[in-house]
Amino acid sequence: MAEIALNIDGREVRVEEGVTILEAAKSAGIEIPTLCYHRALSPFGACRLCSVEIIRNGRSRIVTSCNYPVGEGLVVNTKSPDTIEIRKMLIELLLARAPKAKIIQDLAKEYGVEKTRFKIEDPENLCILCGLCARICEERMGVSVINFVNRGIERKVKTPFQRTSDANLDACIACGACAFVCPTGAIKLEDITKKKPIPIPSEFDIGLTSRAAVYVPFPQAIPNVPVIDRERCIHFLTDKCKTCEEFCPAEAVDFEQEDEIIEEEVGAIVVATGAEVMDHTQFSIYGGGVHPDVISTMQLERMMNAAGPTGGEVLRPSDGAHPKEVVFISCVGSRDKRTGTGYCNKVCCMVMAKQAIMLKEHAPDTHSYIIYTVDRGPGGKIFEDFLTRAEKVGTTYMRGEIDSVSRQDGRLLLSGKDFLTDETFNIMADLVVLATGLMPNEDAARLFQTIHISYDSKNYLLQAHPKLRPVETAMDGVFIAGCAVAPTDVPESVAQGGAAAEYVLKLFSQEAIEAEPMTSIVDITRCAGCLLCRQVCPFQAIEAETLRDGRTVASINESICKGCGICVVACRPGAIKLRGFDDQQVLAEVMTL
Amino acid sequence: MARVSSPSELERLREEILSNRDPNKPCITICSGTGCHAYGSEKINSAFVKEVKGQGLEGKVDIRRTGCHGFCERGTLVVIYPEEICYVQVQPEDASEVVQSVKDGKVVERLLYTDPVSGKKIVRESEIPFYKNQSRTVFGNNRRIDPQNIEDYLALGGYSALAKALFHMAPDQVLEEVKKANLRGRGGGGFPAGRKWETTRNAPGEPKYVIVNCDEGDPGAYMDRSLMEGNPHSVLEGLTIGAYAIGSHEGFIYVRQEYPLAVENVTTAINQAEEYGFLGENIFGSGFDFRVKVHRGAGAFISGESSALMTALEGIVGEPRPKYIHTAVSGVWEKPSVLNNVETWANVPLIINNGAKWFASIGTEGSKGTKIFSLVGNVNNTGLVEVPMGMTLRDIIYNIGGGIPKGKKFKAVQTGGPSGGIIPEQHLDAPVDFDALTKLGSMMGSGGMIVMDEETCMVDVARYFVDFLCDESCGKCVPCREGLERMRQVLDDIVQGKGKKEDVELLEELSRLMTKASLCALGATASNPVLTTLRYFGDEYRAHIEEKRCPAFVCKELVFYHIDPSKCQACLICLRNCPAEAISGDKNQIHVIDQSKCTKCGTCFDMCPPRFQAVIRLSGEPVPPPLSKEQRVLARGKK
Repeated sequence: MAEIALNIDGREVRVEEGVTILEAAKSAGIEIPTLCYHRALSPFGACRLCSVEIIRNGRSRIVTSCNYPVGEGLVVNTKSPDTIEIRKMLIELLLARAPKAKIIQDLAKEYGVEKTRFKIEDPENLCILCGLCARICEERMGVSVINFVNRGIERKVKTPFQRTSDANLDACIACGACAFVCPTGAIKLEDITKKKPIPIPSEFDIGLTSRAAVYVPFPQAIPNVPVIDRERCIHFLTDKCKTCEEFCPAEAVDFEQEDEIIEEEVGAIVVATGAEVMDHTQFSIYGGGVHPDVISTMQLERMMNAAGPTGGEVLRPSDGAHPKEVVFISCVGSRDKRTGTGYCNKVCCMVMAKQAIMLKEHAPDTHSYIIYTVDRGPGGKIFEDFLTRAEKVGTTYMRGEIDSVSRQDGRLLLSGKDFLTDETFNIMADLVVLATGLMPNEDAARLFQTIHISYDSKNYLLQAHPKLRPVETAMDGVFIAGCAVAPTDVPESVAQGGAAAEYVLKLFSQEAIEAEPMTSIVDITRCAGCLLCRQVCPFQAIEAETLRDGRTVASINESICKGCGICVVACRPGAIKLRGFDDQQVLAEVMTL
Repeated sequence: MARVSSPSELERLREEILSNRDPNKPCITICSGTGCHAYGSEKINSAFVKEVKGQGLEGKVDIRRTGCHGFCERGTLVVIYPEEICYVQVQPEDASEVVQSVKDGKVVERLLYTDPVSGKKIVRESEIPFYKNQSRTVFGNNRRIDPQNIEDYLALGGYSALAKALFHMAPDQVLEEVKKANLRGRGGGGFPAGRKWETTRNAPGEPKYVIVNCDEGDPGAYMDRSLMEGNPHSVLEGLTIGAYAIGSHEGFIYVRQEYPLAVENVTTAINQAEEYGFLGENIFGSGFDFRVKVHRGAGAFISGESSALMTALEGIVGEPRPKYIHTAVSGVWEKPSVLNNVETWANVPLIINNGAKWFASIGTEGSKGTKIFSLVGNVNNTGLVEVPMGMTLRDIIYNIGGGIPKGKKFKAVQTGGPSGGIIPEQHLDAPVDFDALTKLGSMMGSGGMIVMDEETCMVDVARYFVDFLCDESCGKCVPCREGLERMRQVLDDIVQGKGKKEDVELLEELSRLMTKASLCALGATASNPVLTTLRYFGDEYRAHIEEKRCPAFVCKELVFYHIDPSKCQACLICLRNCPAEAISGDKNQIHVIDQSKCTKCGTCFDMCPPRFQAVIRLSGEPVPPPLSKEQRVLARGKK
């Protein structure tokens, strides 16, 4: 691209060919006022506020800088007496058209336009007919649901045939781009469509707040860059928009990016893929998903976080008030017989204790109940002090279960049974917090199958031996740790992770791998190359090998082979034998009986 | 009909057509342009057909319905060939007498044109002063052509220019010829057509488009309509020659919504031209392809602006776009496009046939050739006139237009439509061309010429044009949309007697804004009517604002009708005819107008017998209170 040198307000500015005067001025830090200009939209040239005076070939002319292309040797004056007079007159006219629009009032102050001599027809009107809404709807959102209708002074922004109530004609996608880009606040979504915008719930804030289609998932994300949600991004839905690409100064947005399949050969795998938090809205028996003031411990965690959606304030979702009475219900989805998987989630008791303590610290007039089914906390030396502390700050621990949660006068009425006294109780709470369990990731089973490691009926990983080999699997070289195995708290996860790492180091520090002698071996004179053995080997120990004469035979990797013998059974020509268990040896054993 | 596939075949066909036509055979031509259509030319045609049949002349006398002859003041025009006998203001009832006269070789005296100066009757069309003083090189053929019949055009030499261009000239030779002729756009801009063609020819990008602008939005202008209705082939031929010179194979004809007859006739012309091989694939067997599509407008003045027109062709609402990159380089679908006016294209075949030198010998230094004007308003001979560039306004208005009717005085002439301005008496000797009128603050524009007499209020004229532009502004840019509306409000106040001293300065400020900052020429030239009326008739503005007086007695809120008691003869005429029943009086009682009921229609003023002249108009002065009932008794005999 050729470089152009032009003169703006007495300064030499160098820009690339094809750029407009406005863009050139911006790059040199020279401000020119605009109303109908937007970086991500094609120039419109309607407000004329960006008018500048240019001198070309000795002739002076007034042009709009937002769409006039730069040329070599162009001389531009952005503040000539004519341009100032033009801007003042435009502002005076717009002041009569939209007197309450703040952006016009600000411009009026800046240019010393104190009043307008023209009659104000509609003092409440805010629309200055800049066209930004219509243009973003068409150019970026690709929907074109609103545009100008009528001519001249009757010009307005409307939907086709001005019908917003006919659902058949309502193509609006309720993206809100028009309202977002409107400089005066004149556009209201309810004037265009009956549809309500559907917020994208933020996964990290567990739906307490919404996020955009392009977002950084969480502050500590690695890499700490935004990601585009392909299912919500307007570009992927309508093939348009791409506004983010326009604004990124690093030109880092690439819509063509695809998943890459990377092949690596590794010597060991550590599977520590963690777990998900259960969705508390499925527990309607405790009001989850029914009453907005029934939240999960994870949500409470986000609320208490100073960088969270409520800025560290614990607020009732229904009315934003501070709760005074908080009831924690433990074991939801885990040990609780009615809702649970049946086994303890391990982490909830300490979480609730911590949260109860923090609630009290934050607002001394808060009182918390913790309703548990079996025990108030885990056994072990480091936990007891903490649980006692929770009690000391006034938390009421009750062993029992909750039968119903209902709304009454804006608060929540919980009815339940106390297991120790065998009496029913009622508690009026402002906030109910469900201690929901962890569960394996949605695609855990698929991942484990790919690695060929065993998992249980609940999709948690199976250890090689639950007591003696807690971080190993039946597959040599694949180790496991953390919540992918079972709900685990931080100290245990750290221990398991360390252990897995140790095993890997042990594996790698060996000069050679010591393998069991009882491995299978292929007689290549008998092997037919059908490779059925490869299909059935659960440890992926068998590969195809091409011999010098071109024949394909099976080849068993002795360091991986576990000696299970399935290949021996599968082999039709009988070419495989298990060392120590070949036919003659087995027969010999039988004969001694 | 076999396609003509070479110039020699065209000549053979022409000879064949001419040989089948007896030049001495009587032909009754009936003007059937939209103007005469409004006069009832359909009925007249049926009457003549019936008469010719009834008098046993079928086959012996031809009837030809032609396009507009131009003398619209005297429609319906019927011209008898070969004698060229011109009958004016013909009615259907006249058919039998006229046909009889054709049979007998006589003339119907009462239907002839009477010269107002000499009082004599004129027989031949070309001797009528209206026509005599014109130079109808482009428009003249209208009276000889039935637009629905291509052979009429061929008989007059049509399509020979195209044949010459395709077979004897290279495209750039054609372009050079048009450049040398200095043909400037007839739509109002006056840009040299050859230069525009050259820009498009050299611009990168395919395909290239050529466009005929028949949007003709100026109030009072109808030259393009009459050309398109009456001689569509001349436009098609010019367009095809232009396409050849530029390297375009696709053309558009944009006709405004309100010209259905033009659409019909040009569509017929296109079909016939394609049939004969003058349009479409392999024109004349030359290998040059060119297709034309007709596009109808949707009823907006602004879509006549070139960039708005191109936007409309693309199927989008016709609103102007910035033209910092010329449409000749980036036009329809961002391809190089040449847009020219109907009349511009119609001049092209003449230039090719007669040569650039011939064309350049007509007109002035800067403006060559002829121009068609629509001469309308307070002028005796309203109609379409074609004169060489450089003829003075005076000559056009008086020699051709026949002066101001009813003995009134000339006040001003408005040229160039809403973008133009008014020119007062002192500049009547200005030559009419692109540059001279611009110096006076007006412009020649597309050719509208509205003559105004002493009974025209210049402030009202300014208000009229601003009102028109207000309605027609597309509304995209702030200066035009808001500026025009505020101008209208100010002018409305002034004509209603609510004008303030600051109003003139406000009008000038708004004018400056619109002229400098508008997006397109509509806004940029919108203030011309206001500025020229201010310049030449500033005292009328002052009268309206300061004295609340309308010197021309036009602005209703400022005009009052009063019966002079010393002149009223109580004849009851005004009383009986007043539509608002505002006049009271009796046979011997002087009539009095009740000002609260008077609607200022002026009927009483028109009806009061000239020998009494009792009704007077007052403006800027208080109306005398009515006399008491006793004082109103009329003593007869006393004068």
